[in-house]
Amino acid sequence: MEHNEPPTHTLHTRREFLRTSMLGAAAAWTLPVFLQKTFLTLDAMAADSPIQTATGKDGTILVVLQLAGGNDGLNTIVPYADDAYYRARPVIGIPKDKVIPINDYIGFHPKLAGLKGLYDEGRLALLQGVGYPNPNRSHFRSTEIWQTAGDADKAEVHGWLGRYFDNCCKGAAPTVGVSIGNQTPQAFAAATPTGVSFSRPEQFRWVNPGQNRDSSEAFYRELNQPEETNAAMLDANDGGSVAAIAGAKRGGGGTLDFLERTALDAQMSSDKVREIAKKYHSAVEYPKTPLADSLSLVAKMIAGGLATRVYYVSMGGFDTHTNQVNTQDRLMTYLGDTVAAFCKDLQAQGNFNRVMLMTFSEFGRRVTQNASNGTDHGAAAPMFVLGGGVKAGLFGRHPSLTTLNNGDLIYNVDFRRVYATILENWLNAPSELVLGRKFPLLPIV
Amino acid sequence: MLIPLDPRQWDFSKAAHLLNRAGFGGTPEQIEALRALGFTNAVESLLDAPDDLQLFPKPAWAAPQNLAEMRQSILMMAPEEQAEKKKQQQKNARNEVVELIGWWLTRMRYTPNPAREKMTLFWHGHFATSVAKVKRAYFMWLQNETLRQNAFGNFGKMVKDISRDPAMLIWLDTRQSKKEHPNENFARELMELFTLGIGNYTEKDIQEASRAFTGYRINPFNETFRYAPFQHDDGDKTFFGRTGRFTGDDIVDIIAKQPACASFITKKIWEFFVADDPHPGVLDVLAWNFRQSGGAIRPLMREIFSSAAFYAPDVIRSQIKSPVQWLVQTAKELEIGIPPGPLTVNALRQMGQAPFIPPNVKGWDGGRAWITTSTLLFRYNLSNYAVGNGPMGAQKLRLNGELKGPERQVTPSAQLNLAKIAPPELRDDSRRLVETLSKRLFQETPDARVTGSFVKFIDSKKPDTGDATMRELLHLMMSTPQFQLT
Repeated sequence: MEHNEPPTHTLHTRREFLRTSMLGAAAAWTLPVFLQKTFLTLDAMAADSPIQTATGKDGTILVVLQLAGGNDGLNTIVPYADDAYYRARPVIGIPKDKVIPINDYIGFHPKLAGLKGLYDEGRLALLQGVGYPNPNRSHFRSTEIWQTAGDADKAEVHGWLGRYFDNCCKGAAPTVGVSIGNQTPQAFAAATPTGVSFSRPEQFRWVNPGQNRDSSEAFYRELNQPEETNAAMLDANDGGSVAAIAGAKRGGGGTLDFLERTALDAQMSSDKVREIAKKYHSAVEYPKTPLADSLSLVAKMIAGGLATRVYYVSMGGFDTHTNQVNTQDRLMTYLGDTVAAFCKDLQAQGNFNRVMLMTFSEFGRRVTQNASNGTDHGAAAPMFVLGGGVKAGLFGRHPSLTTLNNGDLIYNVDFRRVYATILENWLNAPSELVLGRKFPLLPIV
Repeated sequence: MLIPLDPRQWDFSKAAHLLNRAGFGGTPEQIEALRALGFTNAVESLLDAPDDLQLFPKPAWAAPQNLAEMRQSILMMAPEEQAEKKKQQQKNARNEVVELIGWWLTRMRYTPNPAREKMTLFWHGHFATSVAKVKRAYFMWLQNETLRQNAFGNFGKMVKDISRDPAMLIWLDTRQSKKEHPNENFARELMELFTLGIGNYTEKDIQEASRAFTGYRINPFNETFRYAPFQHDDGDKTFFGRTGRFTGDDIVDIIAKQPACASFITKKIWEFFVADDPHPGVLDVLAWNFRQSGGAIRPLMREIFSSAAFYAPDVIRSQIKSPVQWLVQTAKELEIGIPPGPLTVNALRQMGQAPFIPPNVKGWDGGRAWITTSTLLFRYNLSNYAVGNGPMGAQKLRLNGELKGPERQVTPSAQLNLAKIAPPELRDDSRRLVETLSKRLFQETPDARVTGSFVKFIDSKKPDTGDATMRELLHLMMSTPQFQLT
């Protein structure tokens, strides 16, 4: 054993995992020769420049919070000094005396006291009028545009974070991207699918109540890894007369290949995730909201040092076409209070300075309220970027309420400038490589 | 017409494929029976199956109420009483949704007409409507019935029915759309998601169409569709280059004639029943025929299920089971029931597909989106439950934190007939046992590596080939990537 072997054993790569699990649990198998070779080449790969390793103990972390449904930006950051605002929204406009003022033109929604607190402490950057050219009012298309950072007139398959994983996190643990919930966001879609998702750590494992668990577990592990790792074993199996499964082809990113990789990622990450979830308990009390379940879990994983660069969390319900006042009050309370609790938690851990949280929504809403006291799909809206390492303040101009594009606010900050800034200055990643071109950076980090 | 399958190629594997895709699979005996019918009769037996209405009477609560009267009576109550009544109603609504999901899954599991239920499931994902906003389980049941009645009927008629469907009127806000301020929600999704697909209409088309759908209301006295002429904008609209005093139905008629509509619908159906990325030539033929028929769905499905392309080797067992498919097909293959309502709902939610609660109006993405580390492990653990290895470990099964009591103890283990599924006389011959079980779970034998693992597992347990070992083996076989495919 070499001296520089890490004292605690953490599995960093799929291959390393395979090696240990095959030498350990499934010791009956001999390690195929071609695999030993790839372990060696992997070390060489690590020297490649943009490749990053997430250790979980240091390094910066990005938390993406999606507000799904199209959050009404004008009632989130309210231009309370603008008569045009009240003219456009006679019923749902937020009264001047209720707004929490930021300056003499805009202020926070009354329920966003939590965020105002962070703003005052110098922890929150508020970006105004964020959007993109030729805005699309479809939830799905616009979400796709935000998730892939593509142009409005071009369909892009891979997500912006997926491209970050592809370019900068090769060979990383599958937990380099973590999505809380049961779904993988399109932002994670990548040439090499990366990232894990879970919502309840205690259920994040293969439950096997049978006798002699270890031996069953070994079979389970063997059955749940990509074919390549098992190719050499085929010879060992004598009966070869059985028909192969006809459909899903192996290799080349086929469906079976995808399933096997996901299965392996699940195996690799589940022990660690459950261990952390058991060990860490927050001293901070979160409000009782679904978002709090997600963000407190993220805080736990950060505290426990899960090897992760990006966490993805989402919160829905923002599609307020009808009677939006009550709905939005509730949503803003959830958002403000929960994010504030999350920050407190991270501060108590001493991790606040290496975590950045970014909110986004697929679009803002129309300036004028509709006949159902709600708002229809619109365009530009504000974004929040917050954390210990954020340069706080107001960025971008507030869009005009009278010079509109088809009744919509006109953006003045392209959201990809925000992504580029976070990639370059927070994740230390080459943004041009990830986003496909250069975007002017913003002074928020 | 698409090139049909050569009937001489009809065999067990193709019969299994047809039953899996057009329905929810079946036991080896059921597949064999379908095979024995011969190719043409087999397809026809699915498309023209007996009605199952008598077998699945509607839930007792699935009846309209006099909302106007009810509101009035609540108004006259004391405030505490009002709050109590509201709470009670919410609780009832939740229980009704749980019952409704169980009711539908049970129907899928036992119906003699599985293709119609599968088609209804497709249309539910297509016209995706959620009880989360609709709130009323009766409306969800009613919409489900509308989709079922139209499942193999005419597409244009189904869209018109859906435009008047109370659940849809609530879901996309049509019932609140007034002629002074038409609400665009329904008109937009009608074109983007229900009929044409993005890029095949303009923003102006949406605005004009939304005017035509004004005045659609729900009658509070009997919870049916009501047309309110005073709220309807009956002025001229310009839509797809034509101008006239179009009604909502006129708009649907114009849309249904667009070539883009036939292409959009046939592509989506192909992707649901057959495979992703259909060959453009195949789609052109299907879309052309669908349009020529005026949107007739049954002939379209007949053409698909009869085509050689449907039975191509790279199509068979290449599709990731949806959670609903997973649950119903598993129940059929293992010859067990659908788990108790709350458990079923919880399981489907965690796997990412609770019927009547789609994530949004776009429905479920499906395909690879079904599978994440989280949902895959959940499927594996649900297998454990399905084969009777206890209530999914020590986990708490929560439905809004409400699931307690006897449901937690219920396991279908008692139902699992291991003497039939894993016949004792086969258990000593590991390879034959694995082949028998594989035929049931995979409808064929997986490749040598996977089969080899199963065989070695039994060998490692020998001489103990009792029921506990069989359960463990089934669990292991279902805890595989291969079992997620159909």
